[in-house]
Amino acid sequence: MTWQPELDELRAREAMARALGGADKVARQHAGGRLTVRERVSALVDAGSFHETGAIAGKASYDESGRLAEFQPSNCVFGRGTLDGRPVVVVGDDFTVRGGSADATIREKPIMAERMAHDFRLPLIRMIEGSGGGGSVRTIETTGRANLPGGVGGGWLYHYTTGNLSVVPVVGLGLGSVAGLGAARLASTHFSVMTKETASMFVAGPPVVARLGQKLEKKELGGWEIQTKSGAIDHAVDSEEEAFAAARRFLSYLPSSVHELPPVVPSEDERLRRDEKLFKAIPRDRRQVYKIRPIIESVVDQRSFFEMGKMFGRSIVTGLARLDGHPVAVMASDPFFYGGSWTADTCQKVIRFLDLAETFHLPVVYLMDCPGFMIGLEAERTATIRLGVRAMAALNQTTVPMCTMILRNAFGVAAVAHQPAGRFSLRYAWLSARWGSLPLEGGIEAAYRAELDAAPDPQAALAEIEGRLDRLRSPFRTAETFWVEEIIDPRETRPLLCEFAHLARPLLSPTPSRLQMRP
Amino acid sequence: MSEVKVVSEIAASVWKIQANPGDRVEEGDVILILESMKMEIPVTAPQAGTVQAILVREGETVEEDQHVATLAG
Repeated sequence: MTWQPELDELRAREAMARALGGADKVARQHAGGRLTVRERVSALVDAGSFHETGAIAGKASYDESGRLAEFQPSNCVFGRGTLDGRPVVVVGDDFTVRGGSADATIREKPIMAERMAHDFRLPLIRMIEGSGGGGSVRTIETTGRANLPGGVGGGWLYHYTTGNLSVVPVVGLGLGSVAGLGAARLASTHFSVMTKETASMFVAGPPVVARLGQKLEKKELGGWEIQTKSGAIDHAVDSEEEAFAAARRFLSYLPSSVHELPPVVPSEDERLRRDEKLFKAIPRDRRQVYKIRPIIESVVDQRSFFEMGKMFGRSIVTGLARLDGHPVAVMASDPFFYGGSWTADTCQKVIRFLDLAETFHLPVVYLMDCPGFMIGLEAERTATIRLGVRAMAALNQTTVPMCTMILRNAFGVAAVAHQPAGRFSLRYAWLSARWGSLPLEGGIEAAYRAELDAAPDPQAALAEIEGRLDRLRSPFRTAETFWVEEIIDPRETRPLLCEFAHLARPLLSPTPSRLQMRP
Repeated sequence: MSEVKVVSEIAASVWKIQANPGDRVEEGDVILILESMKMEIPVTAPQAGTVQAILVREGETVEEDQHVATLAG
């Protein structure tokens, strides 16, 4: 006698779960240009690798004879799978069941997904659509009571939402309308992605915001342009498939948890490659800007640069890359944005990026061209100096090895933040580098005010002083006094950075950082 | 033919206008040059087209995301 009847029932229940919210709801999901949660899981993980947990959990009703009559699956689907052969935890909202909201969720499912990732030290990918299991007003009626957010027994999801950031890589994919708790789970990640046409994210959606008198469509309120520029979302893509590819690529640079080191892969690029273009990459005219991304791509392993947060804090470009196969975190100034000055947003971007590097043991490379913190009334209104010193603190609190290349400008207090202050880092200055406490332009007027006021021709006096000082600020004079240790031919950048990656590797320790990362 | 907005990605002052209404431009051609933090920062055509209108003047201050020119693409 076997257990065939029970096996048949198990299979029947699993089939009901696979039907999601029903054919009509699935058709509506597809008509909106969106995949179902199960299609998403299949498209994300390696073929056939998904092992689901809690598939048959949901709400059931029974007939008079006690047989299952109807079944509505929970709108949280989760389990384990592999990405490029490495195990991960995947958790996704099913929008076809009550719009992904709390009415149809089972609170313990997403918590178990988070706990599995945390305790088994596996990267976590959240695929979010709807309120992510958060409550709607209707929940009051279905439960007969109002929920205290974070009340008794309600804190675990929040615990892991932040706690996992210090343990495992967490990726959030916003693949539809995302609000409330869903938005929080999307933003509380190391890397967040949303689709351009089909996703939007907000604390509260248009009907709620309309009560403030703001008549806005979903995309006007929380479309990708709003959210990537605000820094709430890191990356926007044209399709769900691209979102899955971005998640895979991001995770490929990182260890599975803070208890491991980033994976080194065989490099197909020459370690000693010298790019002739670098010799003329920086214009001799100091007022001319140049494109930083081709420089980054020239010095890291070919096609290895993966930019993150492109639309936010744009005077710094941040991303992951490889040097002779070794994953590194790259920051580089972009002079197209305020000459590379650090705005308040830039400082926030630097803080989060350095925290990511520190958390996952990634050596940091900084291609620097910083004329200082952003100045002016808007800069003061946005607390640039406090966020600036916070960025400097983040840098000083890192323990991962760092290598800085000064490409051009290094001025003011912001220039101090080009390496950790209390330990040895590698530093090279390109031939085009220049520096000072303050740029001469404007600085002369401040420091030589009395002399200029007394001059019969202040403009001529200004030009004379500028010429005098300009001759003194040659980087070679700084190097001869050993205030900077090395000036290099820019074509040597890649060989030196690859050497740095090899020097850094034995210094990395697969132990949790003292840093507790925040979103 | 579609209308293409050219926007300033930063707050800055307009230093030089390089294109005039009626000019044919290719993607990446400089339409005007902004000045910010003593640097010259070009605003370029996002795609090929004909300049319909330049909406700012030299010396004027522009805000981030300000519409500064229109192309007919």
